[in-house]
Formats: sequence, C-alpha cells, structure tokens
Amino acid sequence: MNSNPLIKPMNEEFADYLRDESRTTGQAESISFPKTAQELTDILKTLSASGTPVTVQGGRTGLAAAAVPQEGHIMNLTRMNQVTGLRRDEAGRFYVRTQPGVVLSQLRKMLESRKFPSEQMEAWDDQSKAVLTELARAPEQFFSPDPTESSATIGGMIACNASGARSYLYGPVRPYITMLKIALINGDTLTVVRGRQRLHGRRLQLTTDSGRQICCDLPTYVMPKTKNASGYYIEDDMDVIDIFIGSDGTLGVIYEAELALLPLPQIIWGVSCFFANEDQAVHMVEAVRQELQQIAAIEFFDRDALAILRRQREESTAFSGLPLVPPGVDSAIYLEIHDEKEEDAYQRLFAIGRLMESVGGDRQHSWVARTAADRDRLVFFRHAVPESVNMLIDQRKKSEPTITKLGTDMSVPDKDLQRIMTMYRHMLAERGLQSAIWGHIGNNHLHVNILPRSAADQAAGKELYKEWATQVSAMGGAVSAEHGVGKLKAPFLEIMYGSAHLAEMARLKKAFDPDFRLGRDNLFAAARFAGEGDK
Amino acid sequence: MNIIVCVKQVPSTNEVRLDPETHTIIRDGRQSVINPFDTYGLEEAVQIKERLGGRVTVLSMGIPATERLLRDAMSRGADQGVLLTDKAFAGADTLATSYALSLGVKQIGEYDLIICGKMAVDGDTAQIGPELAETLGLPHIADVKKILSVDETSLTCIKLTDNGEQELQVPLPALITVLKDINMPRLPSITGVEFSLTAPFHSFSADQLAADTSRTGLNGSPTQVVRTFTPERGGEAQEITGSLDEQAAEILNLIKG
Repeated sequence: MNSNPLIKPMNEEFADYLRDESRTTGQAESISFPKTAQELTDILKTLSASGTPVTVQGGRTGLAAAAVPQEGHIMNLTRMNQVTGLRRDEAGRFYVRTQPGVVLSQLRKMLESRKFPSEQMEAWDDQSKAVLTELARAPEQFFSPDPTESSATIGGMIACNASGARSYLYGPVRPYITMLKIALINGDTLTVVRGRQRLHGRRLQLTTDSGRQICCDLPTYVMPKTKNASGYYIEDDMDVIDIFIGSDGTLGVIYEAELALLPLPQIIWGVSCFFANEDQAVHMVEAVRQELQQIAAIEFFDRDALAILRRQREESTAFSGLPLVPPGVDSAIYLEIHDEKEEDAYQRLFAIGRLMESVGGDRQHSWVARTAADRDRLVFFRHAVPESVNMLIDQRKKSEPTITKLGTDMSVPDKDLQRIMTMYRHMLAERGLQSAIWGHIGNNHLHVNILPRSAADQAAGKELYKEWATQVSAMGGAVSAEHGVGKLKAPFLEIMYGSAHLAEMARLKKAFDPDFRLGRDNLFAAARFAGEGDK
Repeated sequence: MNIIVCVKQVPSTNEVRLDPETHTIIRDGRQSVINPFDTYGLEEAVQIKERLGGRVTVLSMGIPATERLLRDAMSRGADQGVLLTDKAFAGADTLATSYALSLGVKQIGEYDLIICGKMAVDGDTAQIGPELAETLGLPHIADVKKILSVDETSLTCIKLTDNGEQELQVPLPALITVLKDINMPRLPSITGVEFSLTAPFHSFSADQLAADTSRTGLNGSPTQVVRTFTPERGGEAQEITGSLDEQAAEILNLIKG
C-alpha cells in the first residue's frame, strides 16, 4: 500500500521519465523526486513493504537504457542537486561533496567561478567554508571526466563509470570518487570511503549503518585490461568503493559522493590533424601513443563522419559555424595537449607536426586551437558528429519506425587497433551497411554507428553488433567501455563473460538486493537469477 | 595587394573572480584575445592575399604583451606584425588612437587597403575605422558584409545600412570596416603556428614614429570619462488603447515626452 505522499502515480505529465538518451521507452507505475537522504530512504522503505521494483534516474543522458524502467517505481534524483561541502587533504588536494543530481555542467561552472549557491552553502560545515577561501586563491581546479553530454548528473556518471575524451590521460570517473553514501533497496544505508574498506581476496564483508552484515564471495572473472565499463568491477583485495562505481544502479542508490579534483593545466590546446586515408590516421595514433606525453585526448573521425559534417555545414544554418574540413582529406585525429609551460606545449605541437609527416600526412592540414574561442569551435565540431547522426536517424525513422541508432562502445587492447579497424571495415562493407565511426581511438575505443536505411539494415546491424561483441571479447576487449551495460548491452555482457560469471554477478547483486528489485534487468535479466539461492 | 589589418586586444571574459574574504579581484592571468570583429577583418585580408598575392600586416596599439596576439594573427595568415607601444599612447580615446594608428600605417608604408573590425567589443564605439580613414585622408566604407570584387585599383562591396544594403565601389587605397557575417575565420595550422613564432614583428615607440605627443594618449584625448555605471534595466510596459489614430497620437506624445 502506497502511504508515502512523495510517491506519485505515473501520468502523462511524467511521460518523459519513461525514456532516456538511448531513445528506448519503458513503463512504470509510480515516480518520486526525493530532495533529501531522509526522503530517499523513506521512499525505499515504503516501496520495500510492497515489494516494488525501483529504477534510479539521473539526467537520463545514458545510452544503454539503464535509467529506463521496465515496471514499478522511478526514483529520479535530479532534485538532490546540492553541493554539500569541500575538503582539502594534507597534500593540498581539493575534494567536493555533492548529491547525485548535481549536473556536470553546473559543477564545472561552480568550480571555474569558485562560486557556490549561497542557499546550499548555508548547510556547509565550517571546514568546507574555510576550504572555499583556499579554493578561491588556488589555481583553478577541475573534475576531469568529460562525457560528451555535460547535462549528465554526477550520480549517473558514477553509476556507469563515465569517461570521455580526456580519459585517455586522466582515466574514467572511478579513481576520482573517494567516498559514497549509499542507500540499499530496503532503505538501510552505508558509507564507503576509498582506502578504508577492502576485500579479503574476493570476499566482501560490509556492515550497514543499522549494523546488518553483508558478506559474499565476489565473481571470479578477470576483467579486460582495456578501458572497461562492462559489469561489476572486481579485483582481488580491491577497495570496496569500486564495486559500486559502474554498477549500473543495481546495488544501491548513491545519495552523496565526494569527488577528487585536479588542478586545471595552464595550457590546454586542441589539435585536429587530417589525413588522406584511414591507415595514416591509425599509424598517427600509434605514433602519438608511443612518442608523446601529456596528450589528454586522442579522438578519431572517419570519412563518413567528416562527410556528414561537410553536408551539415552546407545544408543547416545551425551548423554553418563549423570549421571547413580541408578538401581531399579522409580521416581526422583530434589531440589535446595539456601542459604547464607554453614552451613544452609548443615542443609537443611541433612534434605532432613531425609525426603527421612521418605517417605520410601534411602538417598544413591541421587546426590548432590555443584560444577559448578556437577550442569552442573544435568542441562544436566534435559534438556536431553524434548530433548530426541522431538527426539523420530521426529523419529515417519517419519512413521506417523500427530504425534506431546502433552505436557500439567496445574497446580492445592496443595491439589490436589495426585489426579491429580492418574488421569493422570489412564486415560493414560485406553487409552493405552505411556507418560513421568516431570516438576515443587512443583507448582503441571507437563508436561504430551503423546507420540503417531499412528494417532489413536494422536487423543486419544488430546481428553485426553481436558478432563484434564475440570478436572483441575474444581479443580480450570490453563490450562496453564507457556507456555502461544497462539493458541494451546485457546480451553482450554474457558473450563477454559467459553465463557462469553472469550467475556470480547475480549472486553479488542478491547480497545487496535479495529480490532483484533495484535497476531490474540492468546487466542481466533478473528473471533468470531471481530464484537462485545464495552460495 | 598589400593590406593592413588593425586589431585590438580585448579582455577574453567579462567575469571577474573575487577573493571571498578580501573582496579584491583575483587576477589569474586569464589572457586577452583579439577583438572578435577584427578576426573577420584578418580572414578577409588573408583570403584577398591568397587570390591576388601581396602581404598582410597586422597593426595594433597596446601594451608590449600585445605581441602575443599579433603573433596569433600571423599564425592565421598575416605576414608581419607591427605594434605601437609607449606610455605616451596610454589612456587614448578613439581620436588619439586613430592618430597613433595613422602613424603606424605611414611607418608600414606601401598599402592598398586597410581593414578594421566594425567595432571593439570592449568599447563598442565603432569610431576607429572611420576616424583612421579621415586622419589618413582615405575614402572608407563601414559595415561591409560582403566584398564582391577587388583588384589593384578598386573594391566593390555590399554595406549594411539601417534600412537595408548598399552596393558601393571605392577606389584604392581605402579603408573598410567589416561585419562578422563576412566570412568564417580559419583556425591556424601547425605550419602557421610555427611561422608565427619567428615571423617579422616590429615594435615602435612614440619617438620612433615622431609622434606629436600632444595628440597621443590622455593628452590627445578630448573624451573625458566622467563616470561609469551599470544602467538599471527596467521592464516597463504601457498599454495604449483606442482607434488606430488615437494610438498613433498617443505614441507620438510619448516619443515627444
């Protein structure tokens, strides 16, 4: 029986909350927007009494449908959007504490201006207020993860271990999360702090705030040595906090987090390098990886992505500000130099020019963005690619409603970059599918976007996607490198790890969520495991 | 075709950061940028040079650090930079600035065309272009949105006016000021950046230009800034009713005050 006024029945007004950026639509019976931890745990306790499944949502910018409910209740955390404090450690590093609904772009603005809303600061402790003064006087700090969609929430980013272009240098969200406060599905709470709670081998032992013991043996798989956001993060003797980061909203509800900040480099320059063919671009990536330090991002755009941008520039006034891609070029690599001294940055820039020529390119075919205005133009260029592809798909959907974007998110080891590129090209050509490829090539992590023109293309694309999951897994790669598995990639997780390891993951989930009510069907189909007993 | 492009250094942001305790401005070295309108002038000049050959010189009056911006302009296609820098130039209004720039233009020597941005985003006067043309005794066209043709003797362009557009031709040498619709400025290439670091750059003092210091800096500036303030933004609305004639009469009354 619903006895909590914060739990509202679903109606037309809330229809948007049935969808996310994956463009998948689900269903639910009720929704809530808690503002405080107390409200959040009260709601969970009420829902526990009725055994209602709960899907947690942040900014709904995810691409794997983890925030799309299948049934039950939607717990939307966007109104838990307060910055709750600051900390500085003995080494001088700054940390910011936030609720899960803080939006990344807003956090960036606050950190850049060192201004936080006064109504939020009223609840800060004295230490936080003192640290703010130090923060204002210190060099600018930043939170390094940079997913394309800056309207993502901090909670969502933690749930899928988000990354972005700069993860090549700084890594994903994971290492920057130093504390999490978590509510379990029954409303019980616990706090995990990096460095404080560790596994014994693969044995987990945790005590909740109410004194309940959670013990279980964790999965036995070995994770790929590539960029990875596929399934639970598991290593021997690991930090307990890492189990929750990237757990796709399946183990607990994050209601507060502490994020470690980094000093913003004095120099941030973007460099786009254009090449006459894809081989040159791939060789450039290999050369940059080997020869250059302090490169924060290595991104790729293939000929189809560039063609889409050229066309958009011609046809749409919204895109007329795009820089003009040099004629006759086929592929582009975007590099970002992060340095403290200008002379070092120039050395690196000129080294990029030499490397371009060593792989057969021409350094005149490059764009260097050293000013904020120029950098904004390159960001616009990079973001225009997925935006244009979405527009194209929406257009095609009008004549064939079954068409959706099929975008991959797989990574492979360094040694397999050339091999995976050849495989993608060969298999796409073999099936006559249109595509556009771009993404984080520095981590051998490309988004291959299949652009179906018909229902038959759509079916062939899906089949191809599955085949790639098998091939990538065999190479020791990951089926999801940054978007998380959610619901859409659950079948690929089984391809990657196999059903026995999937059952181990289900056992871990069961230790926190015995009835599989939280984030149901993220990572794996709950119905397959809900009946199985604990070990 | 030799072209001079005038550029101004302006702040890159209008947001300042205050120390929460002392309430003083924290200066973190956020760098200045080339006035955005001037970047369109530079691009137009470089495009003309690429078609007709010749040389593009960027000219600025400012503090010595302005060299960095002139080198940035050279990474985007300008061939040389000229900076007028002297304490005697400090505190100049538009009249004194255009006088100093006219000396710079004479120092550069041979030229066919001078291009300025429509205005600077910090001062918003839009006076420098026309005043510089007058000081040099050149014909000028302001607010150019498109150059239709240009050769060694004349330039034909479309100028934006309050009521529409005009197609105008002007004999060269002349000065034009350009709008941001005129082109899409390029990004520098690695080659361009390499060139800019060692490209020809000349700096001149008031003495070297034989400037009449009664016409430079504060001395040469008849404009007196009495006070600066942020105007209050009001959102008043008044409803006028009645027949069309009555409404028109009421509007006329309001305008007359």
